[in-house]
Amino acid sequence: MSNLPNPFISPSGKKPNCMEMLQLILDGQATADQSEYFKTHMDHCMPCFKSYQLDMSIKELLRTKCCGGDAPSELVNKIKSQIAQNI
Amino acid sequence: MEIEDAPNQHYSDLEKGEIFNNEFLPHIHSMYNFGYRLTLDRDDAKDLVQDTYFKAFRFIESFQRGTNAKAWLFRILKNSFINDYRKKVKEPNKVDYQEVETYYNSEDVDRQITQDLRVDALKDMIGDEISNALNALDVDFRTVIILCDLEGFKYEEMAKILDIPIGTVRSRLHRARQLLKEKLSEYAKSMGYKNT
Repeated sequence: MSNLPNPFISPSGKKPNCMEMLQLILDGQATADQSEYFKTHMDHCMPCFKSYQLDMSIKELLRTKCCGGDAPSELVNKIKSQIAQNI
Repeated sequence: MEIEDAPNQHYSDLEKGEIFNNEFLPHIHSMYNFGYRLTLDRDDAKDLVQDTYFKAFRFIESFQRGTNAKAWLFRILKNSFINDYRKKVKEPNKVDYQEVETYYNSEDVDRQITQDLRVDALKDMIGDEISNALNALDVDFRTVIILCDLEGFKYEEMAKILDIPIGTVRSRLHRARQLLKEKLSEYAKSMGYKNT
């Protein structure tokens, strides 16, 4: 593990902390190399493993519980008709 | 025009209608949810969404077809919220971003929050708790969570929507998640979950 090059290191040479790595993974913005590295890292870093589980659960909870609800149909119709009049 | 820097396009009325119906309107439910989560009021959300769509139509020629319509619309809504709604309702919230940067470098704080809140406690939260916890955050923190976790925008898109650097997006998001976890941890305690 320590022999693997760390793909999270920035071009300036700054080594990221666990939380910065975790954030990229959580938000699906890590590269394939970074994802692979982090997977191995989690095997050795229990705090990261726990944080990952918790953060993913919260993200999923937010997505399923806070996204609901369509825009009211009268709002949609009002916008549509106003625009139709202006075309 | 403050919305987009791209040079103006030229569209016929037919093309304008097509863009509006095919690229703008499909996002209306996400836009309404965004408006509601910002204002926490359904009537205000309706006004904000309506205003945003009218502005989007008025400035449709500064939208480049095939680019990210959702991000463009979210940016207009966010600007309307800041420039019109927030001024009308109250003074803008002030967040000490210096503190955010400091926090970002403190892993100990993260570890403590994570220890206090466990996945099994989250499983018993039926929906109101997470929604209330989100709504209780300062609007600037709430916004980054909405954009990232609810709407799935990438950091780069969020930076454009919010007019802030990517580094600030990431540090604000990090701090927002810490605050959200603190609130969820309070709910978990009130539900009888003990700290590990």
